Amino acid sequence: MLRSCAARLHALGALRGLPGAARPPARSPGPARRSLFLEADFHKDSSLPKPSWSKDMRLLFDQFMKKCEDGSWTRLPFYSYKAVQNVHDFIAFIHGSLPSTAKLVDKEQLSQAQIFTESFKDGLGFEYVMFYNDAEKRTVCLFQGGPHLQGMPGFLHGGAVATMIDATVGMSAIKAEGLVMTANLNINFKRPVPLCSVVVINSHLDKTEGRKLFISCDVRSVDETTLYSEATSSPSSRRKCGPSPAPLTRC
Amino acid sequence: MIRRGLQGAARLRHHGALPGAARILPRLNPASAFGSSTDSLVSRFCPEKTDLKDYALPNASWCPDMLSLYQEFLEKTKADGWVKLPSFKSNRDHIQGLKLPSGLAATSDKSDWRLFTRCIPVEGQGFEYAIFFHPSKKKSVCLFQPGPYLEGAPGFAHGGSLTTMIDETFSKIAFLAGEGLLTLSLNIKFKNLIPVGSLAVLNIDVEKIEDQKLYMSCVAQSRDQKTIYAKCSGVFLRLQLEQE
Repeated sequence: MLRSCAARLHALGALRGLPGAARPPARSPGPARRSLFLEADFHKDSSLPKPSWSKDMRLLFDQFMKKCEDGSWTRLPFYSYKAVQNVHDFIAFIHGSLPSTAKLVDKEQLSQAQIFTESFKDGLGFEYVMFYNDAEKRTVCLFQGGPHLQGMPGFLHGGAVATMIDATVGMSAIKAEGLVMTANLNINFKRPVPLCSVVVINSHLDKTEGRKLFISCDVRSVDETTLYSEATSSPSSRRKCGPSPAPLTRC
Repeated sequence: MIRRGLQGAARLRHHGALPGAARILPRLNPASAFGSSTDSLVSRFCPEKTDLKDYALPNASWCPDMLSLYQEFLEKTKADGWVKLPSFKSNRDHIQGLKLPSGLAATSDKSDWRLFTRCIPVEGQGFEYAIFFHPSKKKSVCLFQPGPYLEGAPGFAHGGSLTTMIDETFSKIAFLAGEGLLTLSLNIKFKNLIPVGSLAVLNIDVEKIEDQKLYMSCVAQSRDQKTIYAKCSGVFLRLQLEQE
């Protein structure tokens, strides 16, 4: 399964393809260096503080932004799907990998599509921001689950936790290997997460064996005293980035 | 006895998490059998009359596959022992008159909070699904059609949305089969991507019921069973709800 690779590729392109990538990208640096990912017309980075973010979320965000100052950590921006529609190479890759299911894709529906985790109005669904540390091969996601993600009354739905674990683990994998597909995901839930609270999802690349990656992840409360869940995942890279002019393959 | 034990646990947690505490809840006394049988749970879950809106009913966004399979299963509810589960906007509506054990109940309670799989209200955009359950065989079938808002890779459903749908179906079946309440673990292996707007059929079996845990498995595949989307196993914690 490909996690919202579209958004991740944006981040990848933004970070690796452009100068000054450690800073949150503001505007594209000019027509000469324009990449597919930073079209001048529009970007909405949904991983910046908003009114719906709780105090905990903002505090943590500020703490991590501080860590970014010396370059050891980077904030990973996300862009909504619309901006990725033109990534033809990417779409060709998917359809090439899964020919039988690709035939069933409804092109019309594609136009209304939104990436799952971005589908909710401000504050009601997934509010999150990810930071990456290349030296430690670690991805940290600050996640605030909104009132429309409920499972048991008052608590976050297991599926919502799983979605965010998958997204964070996926980011770790993409940083390591470029395009990947989740082979499996194993999650142990220790305690239910109270709705509208902030959790820290910490994912780490443990090892690589050929094309297989082994990633472990845990979900903790802001003060780290409560462990909500632990997970492991072993995505495999479908294809090493090949020689092609598109920025997509600048892995 | 369960109530006292849980209150004790709640007090302990209030003073900060215990390092190395393996359990979130006290060991339940095996002798205190889970009183409700599957049949009584099912009849409580599927009220004859209710004002609540049932979202697990066909609408204009359902693809032909989904509609026809739904009709097939509806026929089976008449004679073959299958039950169609209603689907309300919040789990609160499913457990009217009951509440979570005191150690677990959320401190605040807002009425605008919604069940994750029922929170995208526009027909066809998010999770479209209907769950059928066979109480005596302890089997279930969930018809799932992911909408464009659940996208991951262009044209395909986000893996998280399938995991969510499986977890949601597990949770309903775990409850009805043995008062399973909370997910303990999920192990999902993804095989293929589900195209947005197409039907995925989830087949769930209850594998084993122990004193405190309930084990289930799920295979998500296309209607003709030629494409397997994912296989998943899940373990749920059994907990009795309390009277309000």
